[in-house]
Amino acid sequence: MTSDGVNSGRRTFLTAATSAVAAVGAVGILTPFVGSWNPSAKAKAAGAPVKADVGLLEPGQMVVVEWRGQPVYVVNRTASQLEALAGLNDQLRDPESENTAQQPTYITGIERSSLPNLLVVVGLCTHLGCAPKYVPEVGAADMGGAEWVGGFFCPCHGSKFDLSGRVYAGVPAPANLLVPPYSFEGDNVLVVGVNPENV
Amino acid sequence: MSNMLIGLRDWVDARLPIMKAWNTHMAQYYAPKNFNFWYFFGVLSLLVLVNQLLTGIWLTMSYTPSQEGAFASVEYIMRDVDYGWILRYMHSTGASAFFVVVYLHMFRAMLYGSYKKPRELIWIFGMLIFVVLMAEAFVGYVLPWGQMSYWGAQVIISLFGAIPYFGEDIVTWIRGDYLLSGITLNRFFALHVVALPIILLALVVLHLLALHEVGSNNPDGVDIKKHKDKDGIPLDGVAFHPYYTVHDLQAIGVFLFIFCGIMFFMPEMGGFFLEYPNFEQANNLKTPEHIAPTWYFTPFYSVLRAVPDKLWGFIAFAAAVAIPFMLPWLDRSPVRSWRYRGNINKVMLVAFVSSFLILGVLGAWAPTEARTTLARICTVIYFSFFLLMPIWSSIDKTKPVPERVTMDGGIGFWGSIGGVLLILVLTILPLQAVASSSHDCGTIECDEFAADPHDKASLQRGVKTYMNYCMGCHSLQYQRYNRVAEDLGIPEDLFHVNLMFDPAVKMGALMENAMDKDEAKKWFGAAPPDLTLVSRARQPQWLYTYLRTFYQDSSRPYGVNNKVFKDVGMPHVLLALQGMQECAPGPVTGDNGGVKRDPLTGEDILEDPCGQLVIPVAGEMTSQEFDETVYDLVNFLAYSAEPMVTDRHRIGMFTLLFIALFTVFAWLLNREYWKDVH
Repeated sequence: MTSDGVNSGRRTFLTAATSAVAAVGAVGILTPFVGSWNPSAKAKAAGAPVKADVGLLEPGQMVVVEWRGQPVYVVNRTASQLEALAGLNDQLRDPESENTAQQPTYITGIERSSLPNLLVVVGLCTHLGCAPKYVPEVGAADMGGAEWVGGFFCPCHGSKFDLSGRVYAGVPAPANLLVPPYSFEGDNVLVVGVNPENV
Repeated sequence: MSNMLIGLRDWVDARLPIMKAWNTHMAQYYAPKNFNFWYFFGVLSLLVLVNQLLTGIWLTMSYTPSQEGAFASVEYIMRDVDYGWILRYMHSTGASAFFVVVYLHMFRAMLYGSYKKPRELIWIFGMLIFVVLMAEAFVGYVLPWGQMSYWGAQVIISLFGAIPYFGEDIVTWIRGDYLLSGITLNRFFALHVVALPIILLALVVLHLLALHEVGSNNPDGVDIKKHKDKDGIPLDGVAFHPYYTVHDLQAIGVFLFIFCGIMFFMPEMGGFFLEYPNFEQANNLKTPEHIAPTWYFTPFYSVLRAVPDKLWGFIAFAAAVAIPFMLPWLDRSPVRSWRYRGNINKVMLVAFVSSFLILGVLGAWAPTEARTTLARICTVIYFSFFLLMPIWSSIDKTKPVPERVTMDGGIGFWGSIGGVLLILVLTILPLQAVASSSHDCGTIECDEFAADPHDKASLQRGVKTYMNYCMGCHSLQYQRYNRVAEDLGIPEDLFHVNLMFDPAVKMGALMENAMDKDEAKKWFGAAPPDLTLVSRARQPQWLYTYLRTFYQDSSRPYGVNNKVFKDVGMPHVLLALQGMQECAPGPVTGDNGGVKRDPLTGEDILEDPCGQLVIPVAGEMTSQEFDETVYDLVNFLAYSAEPMVTDRHRIGMFTLLFIALFTVFAWLLNREYWKDVH
């Protein structure tokens, strides 16, 4: 064996060229391994937007819709419940929803909703993820009596939210209840998980 | 940058001998320079091992090891997980490829006497790898929990029942239950993904350490360490790296080309890599008509069946696997390579390989008397090769072995082709003698059917027929509505309104809302099976023939019987379209396999009272329209059995082109390095 006739330039070139092709191949081989970690069709089906007919919701009534495994509270708020919202502002941590992570950009104001009466929030406490209870009764004795104008109460650590899902000051929960993206099909069908078309 | 890397390397090397290991096993491992084609299969088995480990780890991420969930989770991987079907086909094709390369690797050792002193331990470790690999493949085949998984495991585990006195207790202990069940599945899963791979890896390390201690053999069987230069480097050796790394690279290219060709274009390999009945979920009350193990076990399975006694069959089976362990001590020839041995060795090798191949084919076929006789003859040849070896290897004439390796030894390319042809002829001729024709579609031959997954119009008509006539009873429980709509180019809202019974079911849901299984069982006697995979389990030509051969038979509960599936519990759902077929006298098959004809007139003799079907009162469709409707329906079922088939072909095409490009570069690189090695 001799190393006399070695053309090292050619060797280097061919080694580099073969390595380059092999590197492209390695990316190709990696694709299925990396890609298979994406949400599967099963996960996507479970996370698909859900529809709910809210036309028959009585004033003051709440229904729970499941979206991506989470409870979504839908409340048809009465006129008196809406009127009471403004008076609560000085008892709340974030009355004007300045924490923009807690609602889509098209959700503004103290109602925190698209339609003024219809509240749509993810029913998970922003403290540690328990599902708050809906306590609509004004002046409920176990909620502090006369001051309570209706809202949500988390039984795990005592956090309180008003009927816009705004968190009270002085409770463990740090932020307002999350408003999911939602829109409407026709007048009555609520679609949770899809933004309105003009946004 | 490169200084930093060198610095890091030296820092590690001062603490861990990485450079020493690299030199010992790669840069200063001197391998004989005359390696030929047969020496590619070692590195290829390492490549397949890595493939199996990686894809296997990824498959466990989506697989459910339970009796209830296993089968469905495999289909979940095939359909719902992104690229899951690629990972699964890589693994299933890899399993067979593993045995292909390992068998060829072992045959190489037999050709060139690589098991002889001082390489006995390498051979022993190699044989242990082979045995562990068989165990690994066996428990792995159970995991998809199909009919073949179940009944194959049932047969193999029951073998241990042949052991006297303890047999049945051992069988129960292996299963952990009184039948093969989810308990067995769980322990096999643990063995397959944890225990056996660890053992396999350890044995591979030992195999390589032992090899690198004594050095590689070569086609001439000469010891290259006898002639060294002044630095102590064998004159006939080349450094493994870079010479054999670039050499192996081109082989890897060719191998991957074949591997991907199979994986993307024929992943079932005609039912040998993935057996058709395994597309039906395990059912402990119903054995498939014909059980065959996967092809790599069939030679040993043939030996088992050839012996007409349970215990002795088991012993012969175990001995057939174990006897090659003895090879280093059975071989008494003073010469390693067949190149310098005499004619007895050549005859024995050819006879051995042919009989092994014949046993392999017979093991996949159903046994008949003639086949059993042939299997016995081949079993005798198989064992004689080993047991008589001390005699024939010592009396065989030998030629003088050269001092140095030769670059043009052996029988060359055409000689090798001749050898392969000789072995093939010796394999095929005896097999043809015992072949027998059988009808693929029950009592008749199947009509031809070629699925066309690209014909979306046909698939759309097919899904319409399916939803209207089949979905009432038969679910497609592994398929999702939105996938069908997307693949077939049907807008989701149209699909939802026109093709789904139940508006409450979401488009992303599985198509499992057929009739209630328990109710169905009450009405039909047997629950209508799920049809997602029926076209893979039964094959499309069977379905196409079956759906068109219902005929009037008043003795049956629904007034119809079927030519393909006798006494089937299904009514003739497409009756209104086809019209009722009735039996009419038809031609019969003579003893010679041809149609019986009148010797005078040459006309067919119509002796079979139901030899053809006629339609006295026409249905809504003409016969041709009905055939087209059934074609579209079966085409849809073929699609639903493997919805990724068009992706498979498309990605496969690109992959093959890419590998071809890579192989060209690897070939050029190899040529550049080897042009001065003579």
